[in-house]
Amino acid sequence: MDTPDFKVRTRAKLADRTMHAVLWLVALTFVGVLLVFVGAILKQGWPELNLHFLTSMPKTLDAGGGIAPELLNSLYLVAISLILALPIGVGAGIYMAEYAGQGRALRFFRLCVETLAATPSIVLALFGMILFVQMMGWSFSIRSGAFTLALLNVPVITRVTEESLRAVPRELIEASYGLGATKLQTILKVALPYAATGILTGVVLTAGRAFGESAILVFTAGTNTSDKFPDFRLSVPGETLSVHLWYVTSDGTLPDASQIAAGTAAVMILVLLVLNLLVRLLDRAIRRRTR
Amino acid sequence: MDDLLPATTLDAPGPPAQAGPARLRTAPLFRHSRLNRLADRGTRFVLLACTLLVVGLIGGILYFLAIRGAAAFIPMAGNTDKVATFRQVFLSTNWDPGDGHFGILPFVAGTFAVTGLALLIAAPTGVLAGVFIAKVAPPWMRTLMRQVMDLLVGIPSVVYGIFGLTVILPLVGHAWLADAPAAGFGVSAAILAVMIVPTIVSLATDAFESLPASLDEGSQALGSTRWQSIWRVLIPAARPRLLTACVLGLGRAIGEAMAVQMVIGNNPQWILLMRQATDQTPVLRFLFTPAATLTTELVQELPNTAAGSTWNNVLFAMGLLLYLITMLLILATRRLGRQEHA
Amino acid sequence: MLNPQIPETKPVKLAVRGMNFWYGEKKILHDLSMDIHAERATAIIGPSGCGKSTFLKCFNRIHEVSSQVRVTGDMLMDGVDINRGGIDQVDLRRRVGMVFQKPNPFPRSIYENVAFGPRLFGVRDRATLDDLVEDALRKAALWDEVKDRLKDSATGMSGGQQQRLCIARALAVHPEVLLMDEPCSALDPIATSKIEELIFELKDSLTIVIVTHNMQQAARVSDYTAFFWLGKMVEMDLTERIFTTPRERMTEDYITGRFG
Repeated sequence: MDTPDFKVRTRAKLADRTMHAVLWLVALTFVGVLLVFVGAILKQGWPELNLHFLTSMPKTLDAGGGIAPELLNSLYLVAISLILALPIGVGAGIYMAEYAGQGRALRFFRLCVETLAATPSIVLALFGMILFVQMMGWSFSIRSGAFTLALLNVPVITRVTEESLRAVPRELIEASYGLGATKLQTILKVALPYAATGILTGVVLTAGRAFGESAILVFTAGTNTSDKFPDFRLSVPGETLSVHLWYVTSDGTLPDASQIAAGTAAVMILVLLVLNLLVRLLDRAIRRRTR
Repeated sequence: MDDLLPATTLDAPGPPAQAGPARLRTAPLFRHSRLNRLADRGTRFVLLACTLLVVGLIGGILYFLAIRGAAAFIPMAGNTDKVATFRQVFLSTNWDPGDGHFGILPFVAGTFAVTGLALLIAAPTGVLAGVFIAKVAPPWMRTLMRQVMDLLVGIPSVVYGIFGLTVILPLVGHAWLADAPAAGFGVSAAILAVMIVPTIVSLATDAFESLPASLDEGSQALGSTRWQSIWRVLIPAARPRLLTACVLGLGRAIGEAMAVQMVIGNNPQWILLMRQATDQTPVLRFLFTPAATLTTELVQELPNTAAGSTWNNVLFAMGLLLYLITMLLILATRRLGRQEHA
Repeated sequence: MLNPQIPETKPVKLAVRGMNFWYGEKKILHDLSMDIHAERATAIIGPSGCGKSTFLKCFNRIHEVSSQVRVTGDMLMDGVDINRGGIDQVDLRRRVGMVFQKPNPFPRSIYENVAFGPRLFGVRDRATLDDLVEDALRKAALWDEVKDRLKDSATGMSGGQQQRLCIARALAVHPEVLLMDEPCSALDPIATSKIEELIFELKDSLTIVIVTHNMQQAARVSDYTAFFWLGKMVEMDLTERIFTTPRERMTEDYITGRFG
């Protein structure tokens, strides 16, 4: 048999160099997309960002409205929905990490959490609309919005809680049991404190997601705000920043709709950049500890 | 251990001659209080209840959507007008609710067209970016890419929508279609692709990073170029997880509502419109005809329909269909996961 | 094993002169120099962490796949510097094959594993591929065991078979040098002796460099032995001499098991 000539073919090398360039190009394209994106939003919105815009009431027909109640409602709804979702999410996460074993039950619970996490928000909106807005008779209100928004938060919190608890070193848990601690004591005093930073990171991420959510809130919290400001009642409609952004652009009655939308988008991007920074700091804290 | 009994008194140390461990005079009673034990046992059930609530939620969503959706086909209390037949809804392209036509096929087709197109962009670029991060990029670029993806995934869909509306649509309009509206599948798919790419990238990166280093070394030791090793060994070995990444990305795209609604043009009659538009090349016609999907139609029409009307009920049936499709995709990822372990 | 009385007839294949090696900031190998003769088996022994595997991997520059490394000094193959002599590392790795500590077959069929290398270099013709695969599997003494199940997955084979498959995979591109990094450390005694027999046969046509922590193995298969300690070469000589009359006290202590 004659041995073929195993020279590395120039074609293979050319392909290698080309694909190396392509990989860099793809990566840099995404960096570019993000920069253009954030740049464009901030540039459009920058002229609108002033104290008047942030602190006055929106207008329905005239130009010059602000976003004060929307800003407040965004934060208020995120806070309430987190308060509703945290105990359930953390509870379910603890159960799955520490009590559910490794068998079929755990796999089923995980499938459910995953399914709930992947549920389109418009589907959650339909559910919230039937259950809270119509059946409970809460109509378009902050509480309808918060309860439905909580459904979005629960699976995310459950998952990070489970993952963070599983990352707790086994030796720590065993040391606690070795001293005669009960399971509850071990979880409360050893596992949860260790996992807390991880769970907190997840909560901040969840907050960011809830803050940007719009589909759910259009159909549960409504597209209006209370006439009073500030109004902390749970029964009043609670239009948020994201809903406002959508509503002014699609409704089209405001003469300065595009300026209002640009300003609102810029505010949202700024809030999210701050949240992102917070996550990064928390992440660094976790890594410092494990090192 | 809040309830240690303070009974630990030690013998005074004896003289060195009889040295030994100091002995306890009274055995301490390290016992858990009854309350403590009760709490320990009770917690289990409280936590189980939380978990079952999560499970129950899925059942609840399915139940309510099914009830309202079924009301479109079965006469029920609360219905205000004549019900439709299964055929008229699921097998018809005629959507004219004012006239009693409820064919939802245009929306189903629109959903698959726009998400398929988005996946066509996002899947290859996402997998390549994953390979780049896991195997090619220098450390600083790796960190940068992670942060870019974190930010892209965090941007709210309405902000994506407003970007499409105020930046991309005018741009496309100027470039190619001077007069025609640029809204449609093209711009929607591009925006959707950017929205789902972080999901695909992060899962693809994980997939490549979890491959044993010996595979890469083994193929490079034979004289593979970097790319030959990636193309012939790493991508095939990671395939089940890469497919999972794409399916999950598709799931996200299918469920996305607001961003698409803001740029797609919302025309339920898009099939008809596309047939009529003869003055453009077929590709441009397809990409830039205002269209609609399941989610955009829900956002568009739900506020305008009265509860109990067949129109409204059909919208809920569309929501149910959407949910079932998402669930099927999740189950598909399970199947893929099992294939990987086999 | 070579008899010290008979002079060496084979040319020098690999020559190392004053070579230093850094992993990032950390210096691992210090001022190494040695000659490796063609068609001989050279063993590198030493306690774990002495840098012997690191040294081996410098010959096909496989470190560069995953880490930041730096090399100074000369490493010549047939008189050409492999780091600076204009040799592409991809070409280099075709000519310098490698067998790893743990068998690392690709998750595909036995046939495809062996055909992988030739395919990289554009061999498409089925008949040629078949010949190359059979030839390589015969050289690796695996043909008779697998000829009826070439389409089976390679990951279903025993550890010893997997390692011989990896040897066949390396041989299929006809390398000039075969680097073996503790190739038997994950194998049982029977599989080990099969690999050792194989090394004995292969060195008729190849230059073999084998790293091992098993001194009996070095004594059995190699013609030359180098003893490494803490990133330095203590001594290198004919295997016969290293194991009977080493010049250095430290070598003797290591070989007789007094440390290591």
